[in-house]
Amino acid sequence: MKSKINLFLFDFSVLSIFRRGSKNIFIFFVFTLLIFLLSSVLFISNSIKSELDTTLNALPDITVQRLQAGRAINMPLSRLNKLLAIDGVNAVIPRVWGYYYFANAGANFSVVGIDQFEDQYRDLYTKLCDKFNFDKLKKDSGMLIGSGIDQMLKNNFYQGYFNFVKPDGSLAKVKIDGVFKADTALESNDVIVMPIKKVREIFGMKPDEAVDFVIKVANPSEIPNIARKITEIYPDTRVITKEDLKISYQNLFDYKGGLFLALFVISTFTFFMIIYDKASGVSSDEKREIGILKAVGWTIDDILKEKFYEAFVISFVSFITALCLSMFYVYFLNAPLLRNIFIGYSNLKPAFDLPFSFDFQTFAIIFFLTVPIYIAATIIPSWRVASMDADEVMR
Amino acid sequence: MIELKNVTKEFKVGAKDKVVALKDINLHVQKGEIVLLKGPSGSGKSTILSLIAALNKPTIGEVIVDGKRVSKLADNFTSLFRRENIGFIFQRYNLIPSLSAKENVIVPLIPSNPDSNWLEDRLQELFQNFSLESKMEVMVKNLSGGEQQRVAIARALVNNPSIIIADEPTANLDKKLSLEFIEILKKLKNGHNSIIIASHDPLFFDLDFIDRQIDIHNGEIL
Amino acid sequence: MLLTPEIITILALDFIFLFFGTIAFFISIRIARYWDLNSTTPLQYKLEKQSFLVATIIKYIFVVKLPLFLFFIFTANKLSNVIVGAMCAAGVVNSVSFGSAMFFYKILNLYIFGFWLVLNHFDLKNENQPYTRYKFLLYAIGFIFLLVEIYLDIDFFTSLDVSKLVSCCGALFSAASTSSFSFIFTVNKLYFVYIFYAIFVLLMISYIFKNAFVVLSLNLIYVFIAIISLIVFFGTYIYQLPTHHCPFCMLQKNYDYIGYVVYITLYIGTFFGISGAIMSILEKKKEKFYYNVSAIFNVIYAIIISAYPITYYIKHGAWL
Ligand SMILES: Nc1ncnc2c1ncn2[C@@H]1O[C@H](COP(=O)(O)OP(=O)(O)O)[C@@H](O)[C@H]1O
Ligand SMILES: [Mg+2]
Repeated sequence: MKSKINLFLFDFSVLSIFRRGSKNIFIFFVFTLLIFLLSSVLFISNSIKSELDTTLNALPDITVQRLQAGRAINMPLSRLNKLLAIDGVNAVIPRVWGYYYFANAGANFSVVGIDQFEDQYRDLYTKLCDKFNFDKLKKDSGMLIGSGIDQMLKNNFYQGYFNFVKPDGSLAKVKIDGVFKADTALESNDVIVMPIKKVREIFGMKPDEAVDFVIKVANPSEIPNIARKITEIYPDTRVITKEDLKISYQNLFDYKGGLFLALFVISTFTFFMIIYDKASGVSSDEKREIGILKAVGWTIDDILKEKFYEAFVISFVSFITALCLSMFYVYFLNAPLLRNIFIGYSNLKPAFDLPFSFDFQTFAIIFFLTVPIYIAATIIPSWRVASMDADEVMR
Repeated sequence: MIELKNVTKEFKVGAKDKVVALKDINLHVQKGEIVLLKGPSGSGKSTILSLIAALNKPTIGEVIVDGKRVSKLADNFTSLFRRENIGFIFQRYNLIPSLSAKENVIVPLIPSNPDSNWLEDRLQELFQNFSLESKMEVMVKNLSGGEQQRVAIARALVNNPSIIIADEPTANLDKKLSLEFIEILKKLKNGHNSIIIASHDPLFFDLDFIDRQIDIHNGEIL
Repeated sequence: MLLTPEIITILALDFIFLFFGTIAFFISIRIARYWDLNSTTPLQYKLEKQSFLVATIIKYIFVVKLPLFLFFIFTANKLSNVIVGAMCAAGVVNSVSFGSAMFFYKILNLYIFGFWLVLNHFDLKNENQPYTRYKFLLYAIGFIFLLVEIYLDIDFFTSLDVSKLVSCCGALFSAASTSSFSFIFTVNKLYFVYIFYAIFVLLMISYIFKNAFVVLSLNLIYVFIAIISLIVFFGTYIYQLPTHHCPFCMLQKNYDYIGYVVYITLYIGTFFGISGAIMSILEKKKEKFYYNVSAIFNVIYAIIISAYPITYYIKHGAWL
């Protein structure tokens, strides 16, 4: 058994590709475009996923909301002590926050109230604290805004301040103390940070209420237990654990990516037909050539091998080309156009960079969905050609 | 040694009709013998050649080459048989026009994945013999008719075949080139090769190095 | 049903296998029925040519199936992040009742399809093509196996449920487990180690004498004892944890994907042993090449797997 790769045959195949250039170049372009689309979408969704993962890891272990008629309503601060008394709970932090709809830009801002160096924000905002003086922020009743919002306000001619419309219709003018650009751009680009008192004023909330509680837990494996106890003490609450969020986000993204892939698979099968058709169209020259090859001693197997090399070279070169192109497109150009599919709320969530994230698995998926399918499409046409009668050459 | 035993070959034409190309032929070619098949166009010469080379199978009868029943071989084994035993020279050269002379000559060897040093030597030798050294890298379609014929002969010989088959080898050549071809053919006679030529070119009719002339008419040996 | 890109990929390729496999199946049946090398009918010529289409399709399926199977494990490992309770592929695979069976079934199919290629290779070496009928009958059976596998794939992926709590491998691979193989944990694990090395030595001796039946049976026994001893003994040294018996976790990144190396060498070693032995019986001639490859890979497997407890002992001066 000879296992050495037959370089002569390989050479011959590569030459054949060039010799039938016009036919192959068409296939090459269409196939490259198809792989490019697929890999770009997968790269974007991976990128967003890894971005979300970082954000989700910074999330509190447990979030407790109060429900009335199925909707979340404010949580009385008086409940805080009972929750603190549960074994394993390290801290309970009331949060005051909300979405402010800025009609001029048609966008929602996330307005977050902070008091001091509260635990739950430590990860997210320590960097800000280095740069900005929170005491000053509190004294001034000013705010810090994400870079996306900064851009949006500038576009609407706000310089150094912003007027919030309170529920009673009066205006609350808040000074901008600084602009931040956080690591996890996706989540914090549209965030406004200001003292809790100011947030209550803007949203018209009572001083003895918070929007929800977040709970820090000593031992993560106790989370399900603690969550159960909370619902026992306060049956009208909804308890969301970090794990729940992670899974639902994961699913949402797999689902979106999956939907796209389903479409992709359909277009792949269309492409399958195109290759099939192209590969089936054998010119009389090609027929003669096969006849010559068989007459001088090539077996059906040899010709099939030659055709396989051709298909492999074309599809693999397309694959590599498309992969490089889409890396450039996604990570260097930040995927103009395409990313809007994934971040449908592009004007709500201002611009952010797609972080580089590439794993073996994505590579494998793109490979399996393209190269073997291309080769499959050439099986029957190649066999047809290879099994033609050789006595053609005698005429 | 080549043997055709009671060979009849019919071709289907259309749905029902058939052409009888060969009728109950018996033929014996010894090792080292040079044989000329002559007869008018359509008499069945090419059909005999293609049966010997196992490009085709007889409708009745059998073809035996060196003790091997080639008429019974399955398609891929007929290819292997040709690869090892047969060198083909066709009427229309049948080269691959978009490949260079060298690439064309290599073609029969490609499936057996030859050693590249050995191959280089073999090519040098062949191209020297046929004074084609300067044309090695030239694309075949840019060569003259005579050069193309010599490339075709080089290709037929590259695998050291024991049987050389030439189908109307001078049909596309002028007189001068035809005589040149005959000179080459003469040199190929060495006692080991059987050479079978099918031609109705009178140039072949009185050559002393041809051992035997066989007349074919309407699919029958006269 | 989970619609992850990985699952779509596997199902799309399953569809391709189904499409081409079906074509090959019908041709195979025809060839098995009408093949007659002595006949000179147009039907026979047609079948001769079609046999190459079938061979090409089977080669294609096998060549894509091998890496796809690894990808399947990879996917199962990844899904373990999503499915509550699962720590590795074991939990995911076993989250459906037929999980383990499906897994071993997939491996069995890899042996069958691989063997088909070997048989094909030998068939085409001989002008009489002695195995043609058998190889196409074998494929016809293999196709039924393939159909079942594709059905199981679909059933498996559609019944995966993210919200269902599954057992992690720790629970599955322990004496307390209710699974059919849990009894192996109740026996002294050293017995399996002794048996493993005993079989290994016998196997090596069998390569010297090359009695096909002996090589065949020892290779078959070797696969089983290798996997069992891997679960009860050698695996614990890969994990450096006396209670960790999972055959899947070693396929994860934490263990440098060593599981892939281990299983692939075991597969190659036993595959060449088994198919070489069968071919030796059929050809009535010792298939040295197959035996050599088999011996080499089986030795590599034994070396890798022994290296773990030995280095552990050298480092810590004690067994786990
Ligand atoms: N593939 C074919 N199909 C149908 N008829 C054929 C075929 N090949 C040859 N023939 C017929 O067989 C007869 C012999 O042809 P051929 O052997 O080519 O003659 P020659 O080579 O002597 O000119 C001719 O009548 C020709 O038309
Ligand atoms: Mg003719």
